[in-house]
Amino acid sequence: MNYLLDKETYELDFFSQKEELVFNVLENKEVSLTLLNIEEVSSIHFELSDNAILRLAIFAQNPVNSQKITANLGENSQIITYYADFSVDKNKLDASINLNNRNAYCEWHLASLSSKNDDKEIAVSIYHNSPMTNGRIDNYGVCKDNSKLLFSGISHIIKGCHQSTSHQNAKIVVFDNECKAIAKPILKIDENDIEASHAAVVGKVSDDHIFYLTSRGLTKEEAKLLITLGYLKPILKGFNDSIGEKINALIEGRL
Amino acid sequence: MATLRIENLHVTVEGKEILKGVTVSIKENETVALLGPNGHGKSTLLNVIMGHPRYQITEGKIYLDDVDLTNMTTDERARAGLFLALQNPSEVPGVINSDFLRAAVNATSEERVSTYKFYKMLDNATKELKMPFDLATRSLNEGFSGGEKKRNEILQLLLLNPKIAMLDEIDSGLDVDAIQIVADVIKKEKGNGRSFLVISHYARLFDLIQPTRAIVMINGRIVLDGSPELIKRIDQTGYEFIKTELGIEIEKEDASMNTVSIGSCAVKDSIK
Repeated sequence: MNYLLDKETYELDFFSQKEELVFNVLENKEVSLTLLNIEEVSSIHFELSDNAILRLAIFAQNPVNSQKITANLGENSQIITYYADFSVDKNKLDASINLNNRNAYCEWHLASLSSKNDDKEIAVSIYHNSPMTNGRIDNYGVCKDNSKLLFSGISHIIKGCHQSTSHQNAKIVVFDNECKAIAKPILKIDENDIEASHAAVVGKVSDDHIFYLTSRGLTKEEAKLLITLGYLKPILKGFNDSIGEKINALIEGRL
Repeated sequence: MATLRIENLHVTVEGKEILKGVTVSIKENETVALLGPNGHGKSTLLNVIMGHPRYQITEGKIYLDDVDLTNMTTDERARAGLFLALQNPSEVPGVINSDFLRAAVNATSEERVSTYKFYKMLDNATKELKMPFDLATRSLNEGFSGGEKKRNEILQLLLLNPKIAMLDEIDSGLDVDAIQIVADVIKKEKGNGRSFLVISHYARLFDLIQPTRAIVMINGRIVLDGSPELIKRIDQTGYEFIKTELGIEIEKEDASMNTVSIGSCAVKDSIK
């Protein structure tokens, strides 16, 4: 199914649909797009023309067996994504953003809660195929019970794409001894005149943080909850109030 | 309001004994200066009173009036009326300062504080400390300057209204104006039944807050307990007189764990 996005705001529900989706944003258009119940769609593609801006918000709460998200960006175009991953059971997500033209810009924010026997593998890559392109990936996760959470992805700046910037951040807070959390952000850089960084943090909630919060009267459980919410809640700013409240309730309910 | 009583407290950390029998009481309305060289257990004492899990109490008791705190958790002690302003407050990303403050106020108050009342309290306290209100809306201590972190500790003190307030080097990292502001707040909060136990290396803070008593900790014990005159004496002459007058040998701080410096070979040094 092919969509031409020419209004300012869309909230689309794809309940029980599996067909591939293609979204086009025309030149100079600025669009906010919220996607719901999109877990069964295996391929979602975005085509951004020059100077187009897409604010994308995705909320997943059912199993995602296998999903590919791809995007091609025109000159001066921007894609800003907030992905709230509260899917259960499974999430195999593979996102690739192609910054094909000058000054193309990508911001990717993801918050993932993995619990029980969830098995999640989330790969987010940005390909800098043109000079002066900018990319940023922030993946934050909370890993509990017997679940598995893997963040991977590549930031690739190819030769000749000078003055590009690429930053990757992967952080997972681990709750239980049985769960498995892996963060492996990868940089591939074939050009000298660029700026790039990557960071990976996997660990349990710091004892010093817990001491600090409990020394102000919060119980250990309250302190842990507040610190963990700090990992997940920043994703809410990508969503409108009604969906934000739903996600908020889900976070607090599951923790 | 309350008396804090420490009896024969022995504490170890990672198998090493740091406190070797501390006995001291802090009574209602007292402001006590806790002095002593670095590495002799001052911060340890404050952290143990607050219940930091890193330290093991092997002997002794901590009481608040007749309530035995020794086996209580940190949050229970906070709710009983203890407060510790940390020397190095943690940065906790993602936790919004005002959310945390509100949770803390609710945890330590008998009844739930309304949103309106809380913001009124917060507004008053930030004004008193001359803190920009936007610090309350940022992540807890994240990206705060050293001085902002310390003011944020005093902000918590004002909001939580504890019976016993312990301040661990609250003046480090503060400029002259900020020390004055913090000292003014402490002076105002002194009395009304509240007690303070204050660690500082500088007579300047003590000049401003006027302690009622001074105690000196050496080798994990309280060796002197007397009038605030002690502060002046130590400021002028150091701790040498303790050796000459009391015959107590002051143990040197342990050498740093890592003796390897840049430019030397760590592997070679470790097999020496």
